[in-house]
Amino acid sequence: MNNFFNLIANELIKTYIRKSTWVMYIVLAAIVIGAAAIVAAFDDTDKVSDNENWREALQAENEALTKENEETDEDDSFIIDINMDTIHENNYHLENNIEPIKYGAWQYTIENSGLLSVVSLLTIIIAAGIVANEFRWGSIKLLLIRPISRTKILISKYIAVLLFALITLLFLLIINWITGALFFGVEGFNPDIVLSKDGGYEAVSVISEVVSGYGYGLVNLVMMTTFAFMISAVFRNSALAIGTAIFLMFAGNTIVTAFAERPFAKYILFANTNLKQYADGNVWIEGMTLGFSITVLIVYYLIFIALAWVFFVQRDVAGQ
Amino acid sequence: MSEPAMELIDVKKTIGRKEIIKGLSFTINKGEVFGFIGPNGAGKTTTIRMMVGLIKISQGDVKILGNSIKSNFKEAIREVGAIVENPEMYPFMTGMQNLEHYARMIPGITRERIQEVIQLVGLEKPIKEKVGRYSLGMRQRLGIAQALLHSPSVLILDEPTNGLDPAGIKEIRQYIRRLASEENVAVIISSHLLSEIELMCDRIGIIKNGELVAIQSVHESTDATSKQIKIQMEVNPIAKAIELLQSQHDIIAETTDHLLTFQSEKESIPAIIKSLVNQDVAVYQVTASKVSLEDKFFDLIGENTIE
Ligand SMILES: Nc1ncnc2c1ncn2[C@@H]1O[C@H](COP(=O)(O)OP(=O)(O)OP(=O)(O)O)[C@@H](O)[C@H]1O
Ligand SMILES: [Mg+2]
Repeated sequence: MNNFFNLIANELIKTYIRKSTWVMYIVLAAIVIGAAAIVAAFDDTDKVSDNENWREALQAENEALTKENEETDEDDSFIIDINMDTIHENNYHLENNIEPIKYGAWQYTIENSGLLSVVSLLTIIIAAGIVANEFRWGSIKLLLIRPISRTKILISKYIAVLLFALITLLFLLIINWITGALFFGVEGFNPDIVLSKDGGYEAVSVISEVVSGYGYGLVNLVMMTTFAFMISAVFRNSALAIGTAIFLMFAGNTIVTAFAERPFAKYILFANTNLKQYADGNVWIEGMTLGFSITVLIVYYLIFIALAWVFFVQRDVAGQ
Repeated sequence: MSEPAMELIDVKKTIGRKEIIKGLSFTINKGEVFGFIGPNGAGKTTTIRMMVGLIKISQGDVKILGNSIKSNFKEAIREVGAIVENPEMYPFMTGMQNLEHYARMIPGITRERIQEVIQLVGLEKPIKEKVGRYSLGMRQRLGIAQALLHSPSVLILDEPTNGLDPAGIKEIRQYIRRLASEENVAVIISSHLLSEIELMCDRIGIIKNGELVAIQSVHESTDATSKQIKIQMEVNPIAKAIELLQSQHDIIAETTDHLLTFQSEKESIPAIIKSLVNQDVAVYQVTASKVSLEDKFFDLIGENTIE
């Protein structure tokens, strides 16, 4: 067992000792900090300050927006829609007597949940290389002539990839929060925020929103990472693994849309990676349930793992 | 005394339809240095890959201290240290980090042991440098250090002299001999250059086209072919002499450095000279020498053909 931790440690050391890994983190941090600087410079995030008169302020804003809508050209429905949304949100605050909170670290973190796809991207790059690079460097020969089964080596590599994802995710959350705190301040320990849900509005705790905002994305992250890992183990080629995994990650929704009318559409991996569809209530393809999607995901997952295992453990390690 | 460390039992390897290794059987004993010689493409690396379980054995088996590499991989490989083809390590890590990486994979390797092997291969100075900056010779040494970390009973080195300068080869020769005699390690060294490893080997196995064509002890020379000696003559005209040797003595001779060179028995020299002189071929000089392993090697593998 001790031995197994050593194997995982080896893989993490080989990952984090390389400069290219640190460049990834620097880029991620630069995106987060850069975005905050832009928001702070151009966005009027302080429009509702926490004072006694927040009701008057909201009502005044609603009146101003209504007036702007009346003056706006009918064709410019985009602006009208945005303004209407703000009015509805303000009304929710007024009706339920919930004071709007200031913008801050928590909300900045939630808004940046899209950056989870960057974490996916970086993890895919690591997963794609973790087996294939050993073949490219030729070090695979020295790795496999130790008294350790190939299965164990493969598992240690896979766990190292998942740990990389976890560390990178934590890095993203922390850098988001700290950056948000430095630029916009902190809203509180775990304040409620008002979000649009099912056509209406709802107050939810900010931490639960962070968890769901990032948590649902993890399904896609794990599936695409495992896919890249599998390609890496089967074809021993990291470029191929990165290419196919990233292509599928971005083309996934398009693929589902293209085949949406076909009976097999609901068995496509990407029709099932977004589990949020069941929480939101707008299911993509009729007849799909949470249980169905989880089953499909597990089947794909097991196929990926089985392929990686069979090829890594069974195939000869001869000259490339 | 001669306990087998590694046994090959009718080992075959077929890739696709091509039989690359056609049934190798030999034994390497503890404390013995075995040279594995063959021209390019003979199947040395393929055999070594099978010995260490990197590729499957199509037929037959390899046993290390009695453990089959096929069915008892962990126990068998625990006793093996190897370099397969080039010693490729992680270029972005230092020599030390590379050794620590491999040390973590086998329980019981101490810091002191790591220092010991570093000293043994003489890498104390560059050990804190990135392997990417190592010369081929330094990498070769690090490869040997890596193979020795866990004090294996069998050491397999695929072309370890590749990239080493003469001083480096001499050094390797010395510590391989020491490993064999002092620590009773069985060493298998492959090479396509006989001269480079002849001096450090006890026995030589010659492989050609996936077949073992000869096994020869380096020190004793009591086998049948040893009566043959190498004869060189300075004659004129050479062409006529070659013709005469062929027609009258059934000897195929060739010219090297303007000298007629061939192998024959010592007893036949007077008759050969006589027939040459009789046919008006001038003989200026005759030298006879023992057939070296090198000559035998070329006899056995013939032209350096790659099939
Ligand atoms: N994966 C493979 N597929 C088909 N043929 C192969 C494969 N690997 C090796 N061979 C063939 O097997 C033969 C033996 O190759 P091997 O690498 O074992 O030779 P070698 O004795 O190590 O030669 P060298 O001195 O050049 O290192 C060669 O003819 C090669 O073409
Ligand atoms: Mg070779």
